[in-house]
Amino acid sequence: MASLPKRIIKETERLVSDPVPGITAQPHEDNLRYFQVTIEGPQQSPYESGVFQLELFLPDDYPMEAPKVRFLTKIYHPNIDRLGRICLDVLKTNWSPALQIRTVLLSVQALLASPNPNDPLANDVAEDWIRNEDAAIAKAREWTQLYAK
Amino acid sequence: MKEGSVYDEGFNDDDDDDSILLEFESGSDIEYDDTGLLRRDPGLASLSDEESGKGGNNGYYLDGATISSRNVVIPKDELYENDGVPKLSYRCLTTDQIYELMLERLERIQPIFDISYEDIIVLLQQYAWSEERLLEDWTENRDNVIVSCGLKLGHEPVASRGIRKHANFLCHICCEANKMKTFTLECGHEYCLECYQHYIKDKLLEGKIITCMSCPLALKNKDIDAIMGDNSSQKLMRSSIKGFIQKHSNHYKWCPFVDCNCIIQVGNISTLSEFPRFHLSPYVVCDNQHRFCFKCGLESHSPGDCHVAELWVKMAQLESANLNWVLTNTKECPKCGVNIEKNGGCNHMTCKSCAYEFCWICEGCWAEHGGGYYECTRFKKEDKNGAVESKNAIRKYTFYYKLFSEHENSAKLDWSLGLTVEQKVKALQENIGISWIETQFLPESIRALIEGRTTLKWSFPVAFYSDPSHNLTKIFVDNQSLLVSAVEDLSQLLQVKEPQKIIDRKLEFFNKARFVRSRDKALVECGRDLLCKGICIPHQ
Repeated sequence: MASLPKRIIKETERLVSDPVPGITAQPHEDNLRYFQVTIEGPQQSPYESGVFQLELFLPDDYPMEAPKVRFLTKIYHPNIDRLGRICLDVLKTNWSPALQIRTVLLSVQALLASPNPNDPLANDVAEDWIRNEDAAIAKAREWTQLYAK
Repeated sequence: MKEGSVYDEGFNDDDDDDSILLEFESGSDIEYDDTGLLRRDPGLASLSDEESGKGGNNGYYLDGATISSRNVVIPKDELYENDGVPKLSYRCLTTDQIYELMLERLERIQPIFDISYEDIIVLLQQYAWSEERLLEDWTENRDNVIVSCGLKLGHEPVASRGIRKHANFLCHICCEANKMKTFTLECGHEYCLECYQHYIKDKLLEGKIITCMSCPLALKNKDIDAIMGDNSSQKLMRSSIKGFIQKHSNHYKWCPFVDCNCIIQVGNISTLSEFPRFHLSPYVVCDNQHRFCFKCGLESHSPGDCHVAELWVKMAQLESANLNWVLTNTKECPKCGVNIEKNGGCNHMTCKSCAYEFCWICEGCWAEHGGGYYECTRFKKEDKNGAVESKNAIRKYTFYYKLFSEHENSAKLDWSLGLTVEQKVKALQENIGISWIETQFLPESIRALIEGRTTLKWSFPVAFYSDPSHNLTKIFVDNQSLLVSAVEDLSQLLQVKEPQKIIDRKLEFFNKARFVRSRDKALVECGRDLLCKGICIPHQ
């Protein structure tokens, strides 16, 4: 593997020395571009008290290209599909090289706090969410208990 | 380009979108020039269809093909002029030409805005080149537009725009220290030149305004060029134009042929809606001689109209995967016609549906086979033309689809044959000393061939949707076979390679190409007749 860009080294160091509350990101020992991530469900959200596993990969072109982030833990959320793929602007069109791993993960955490069923990735979930929000939230809570422990 | 009528107000007459529509002096007349295969050459006895066209209106049968001595080549598009069908006026452009036209346009609207061209370009890009929408917002709230489009900061500038020199700069993008050159906009977000170059390079193809990496302030074309050290902003403009064309696809269409970068702009789009009434399609020819339908974006599909073509293509997409499998892996029971897959065992087949016993190889009755159990010595039966009459829809479709795709493949080969023509022309000029003008019968022949082949190909969908018992359909089928033999004849002739032989047979080239043209026309007219008279009814 080509030597790791300084940018990635610095970000990794800072993630360790100055971690974001409720978020951990640990680079894989064999591949320093691959991170194992955990995000705690935000308080007052249906995901509260859950701990979600994610994977994060920094492509060759990082930071010009956005990191690839995916949920590994099953989650009931209108912007996250069954494969754990996330519909989030900063991961796609609104990515900017000035953003970082920590800002992306914070955005993901914010997405958990405020689901957006009007711009869905998982259509069925979004429909449930719009039709009966209370039931959907209950189900999200149930899934959190089931899978995100 | 020949001049036609001038559309003074652009093409806004029936236009409900609010784009910039580029004005042009119409190119309603088609002249195949430079790269083209057809030319108006005074010295060349051309292969005009005009005479036979006028004389042949009452019959698409076997009327003769005489060499016309007229000099004017009548493009196919003009054939129906006399029927009162509106003509399409269009021209062929490249992205660069479109860009130039836009700049001309910019010059005219610039006085309305009190800002520089560069700034207007940024605004227009943000508004997807929709001038009117921009003007509306501009008059309503000028300052808001300027800020939201990234032309100015919402607050006072903290830095001056441009490249800066440092002794030891730490860039926050790459985290490398000791950077010498940086770039910043008025926002003061400063990053090293390498990071900016990398960033811009990736964004050029997106065709959207490039902003500061940290805020929405826009980079102008001159910033981009300064950072990249070349004229990269032109690349961005070209990508942006592509987006413009896609957005205004009712006026502009890319030529659908592979690797052709021509764009056709149609002036009088209101006439587009007139074509279906006549069962005609609005064909356009790009500068590379690719003929396609402006309405559906397919290649020329006469004698069928867009409706026939659309249904046929849809059906082909739905069926082809199935069909190919069925064709390669199954045979029909010779007695009841059910599709049978042979998944092992000997050639002695027993149909599960009608219990008919037959031989897989020859599809003959097994009882007549005598002792030859594992080998069939009979010849394989020829496909019967009776399939046309088959009640089995899939079988009928298969029959026509096969023909369609066979001619599609041949057409591809003809295109590559066409590419050799240029070498032949050159050889004629160099080896035999024939003037360029006199060699033009060759490209003209290949053009007749390709158009004839395309017509043939698309005649099968028409035949498929036509009532087979009707007399006109039978005439149509006859016309098809006449065109087939004309096309094959010409195709064979075009294989001749030796320059001397080509020249010796020049008259033959004329005759055959002319014959193809007249057969082509007859078939097209006949097909149109089927549609107009309701004998050919496209259905799902």
